[in-house]
Order: sequence, then structure tokens, then C-alpha cells
Amino acid sequence: MSANSKANARAQKAAELRAAQAKRENRRRLLTIVGVVAVMVLIVGGAIGISLLNKKDVKAVAAGSSDYGVTIGDKNAPHSVIIYEDFLCPYCGALEAETRGDLADLAADGKVLVEYRPFNLLGAEGRTYSIRAANAFALVLEKSGPDVAKKFHDLLFENQPSEANADAEAPNDDIIALAVEAGASESDVRDGVDNLSHEDWVTKATDEAHKANVQGTPTIILDGEVFDDGRSVQDLADNLIAAVD
Amino acid sequence: MTLAWVGLLARLVTGGVWIVAGGLKITEPDASIAAVRAYQLLPSSVAEVVGLALPAVELVIGVALVLGVLTRGAAVMSALLFVGFIIGIASVWARGIEIDCGCFGGGGSKVGAASDYPWEIARDSALLAASLLIASVRRTRLALDSVLFERRSAPDADVTEGAEN
Repeated sequence: MSANSKANARAQKAAELRAAQAKRENRRRLLTIVGVVAVMVLIVGGAIGISLLNKKDVKAVAAGSSDYGVTIGDKNAPHSVIIYEDFLCPYCGALEAETRGDLADLAADGKVLVEYRPFNLLGAEGRTYSIRAANAFALVLEKSGPDVAKKFHDLLFENQPSEANADAEAPNDDIIALAVEAGASESDVRDGVDNLSHEDWVTKATDEAHKANVQGTPTIILDGEVFDDGRSVQDLADNLIAAVD
Repeated sequence: MTLAWVGLLARLVTGGVWIVAGGLKITEPDASIAAVRAYQLLPSSVAEVVGLALPAVELVIGVALVLGVLTRGAAVMSALLFVGFIIGIASVWARGIEIDCGCFGGGGSKVGAASDYPWEIARDSALLAASLLIASVRRTRLALDSVLFERRSAPDADVTEGAEN
């Protein structure tokens, strides 16, 4: 009996030891997992921190004070909107179609000052339309004034060529025809469009946009802050008009 | 055990892709946010959070897969992300939106992008399959998990038991 109980006690003790060991094992396992997850969270946090440090806020000069744009509306209007755009960018064309009429009405009512700032974002890899269109815009602005330039700007977007085939679809003659339709005289613009007389203006406008950290088009600045509240261009346009009205 | 070696290969390839994809985007947060927005799927504020956090998460999943730390969990996360990307690309394709997928930086509208969609979906599907394989293999070769979670205390117990006798 004593041998038996001794054996029992030993078996019990062994079982206790095994249980304690399993408990330690589980604890260690859990701590390891917690530790690894903590390290992962730290790395995610650190990486997000690096991203935030690299984030560049758009710092555009105030509406109505750039040399590279056309402005409509009252300088003392309660709201200001700046739209950075490329004449070739399809989303700019879509945004224009959605917002132009409303923004013009709101500007006429004294509710908003709107400045359109075209620059060259997409003119590269042998594609010249962005540069040719912006050059023509600058030329018309100089020769015929802001009213004609704004109308020309609208016409360029209404007749926007496809991004894929812009240069074939919109030769200089078409651009000149639109400028004339807007109210410029052909003799004023013909040579300048053909010779890219205002290419320097386009370069400087583009530099200014880059300096302002504008990374894409359209970039909308509402009252000094980037406005990007909207899933689609349609949403964006609706929300912008609602915010200004 | 060849499956364990295949698992290692899958880990290195998938993890490597994640490290590159995440690493390239971490220093370009504005482009990353714009790339997420270009899908026109998420509300603006959510797109901003995703654009900032996704590259960091990608990087950590990649590191975890390459090192083999919490391998199965990382593989499941990896698979879920690939499912999300496949849905995202299929959705812009279906809606006729042409964008750079922004998978490895970049992003935004791009002419003729639709012709890249089939290949991008195929690539993500292959990586999804690799992730599922890793998740399904219990142990892959050269994983840090086998060091971290080996049953280390078993010999200790033997010693204590021995001392009792």
C-alpha cells in the first residue's frame, strides 16, 4: 500500500509539474505573441510617422494674387476658390463641366472669388497639347484681357481632346479658332500660338504650382485649404458648390 | 518536406513584393493618398487614412512574411489585402476608369491603363494564391516562428524530474 501511495503521489506530482510547465509554456507563448505584435505596431506607427513627416501641404498663394491665372468675381467675396488645372486632364474637364456655370453665377452674385490656374502637368513624352494650350491661354490673357481669356479657357475645356491622342485631335489651327471664337483677333494670336511665345509663362506657372506642392490636377483650394471632399468628380463638384453657396 | 520549402519560397516572394510596395510609398504619402482617391471608392477622409496607413501595413506584413514571424497571421492579412486589391482593380475596370493602380507608388489617371488591368489582376491572384499556401502550411522552412515558439521548457522538466528521483 505504501508503495502504491508513493507511486500515486509521484504520478500526481508529475501531473502537477506537467500542468505547471504547460502553464508556463502558454504564458511564454502569449508573451512572445504580444511582444511580436507590439514590435509590429511600433513599426507601423514609425512608418506612418515617416509618411506624415514627408507629407507636403499645399501652400498656394492667395486667390487673385498669382500672375499665372485668370480670376472671376469680387476680391472681397466671402469665399475664395483656386483651381489648378491642366487643359488636357480629363478630370479637370469633368470638374469644369460640373462646376463652371454654378461658379460663374456665384461669382457674379459676389459670393466667391474664383481663380483658374492652368499649368503644364501632362505635357511630356512628346505630348505637347498641355503646353500649347497653356501658352495660347497666356497669350490671349496678355493680348485680349481676362474676360476673353476666361471665355477661351472655357472653350478649351469644352473642346478638350482625348488624353491619348491630343496632338492629332487639337492642332494649333483649332486652338487659334477657339481663341478667335472667345474674342481674340487672329492676327494677335496666330504667331504666338505657332511659336509658343509664352512658353516661359507656362514654365513659370508650372514652377509656381510645384512650389505650392500641387501634385495633381484638378487641385481645388477653398478658402486657403485643399478641398477634396468627394468620392467622384461629381460628388466633389456638388460639395464644392454647396460649400461656397 | 518539400511543401515547407515551397512555403519558404512563397514567403520570400510575397513578402518581398510587400516590402517593395510599402517601402516605395512610405516616403510619398501625398501620391499614396491620391492613388487611393483615384479609385473613387472611398469617402475622402477614409481615403486619406488608407493612403497613409496602407504602405506601413504592407511593409510590416512583408517583413513578417520574409522573417517568418507570426507567419500564418501575416499570410491571412496578406491574402485579405490581395482580395481587396483585386476587387479595387476589377471595380475601376468595370466602371471604365483608367488609373495607374498605384501598387508600387505612382497612381492617378493614366491613359490606356485598362490594358494593364488583366495582368495586374493575374499578378495579385498569383500572390493571393501564394499567401493562401503559406497560411495553409503549418510550418515553413527558416521561419523565425520555429525559434520563437519551439517547446523550449521540455528539457528543463526532464531535469527537475530527474532530480526528484
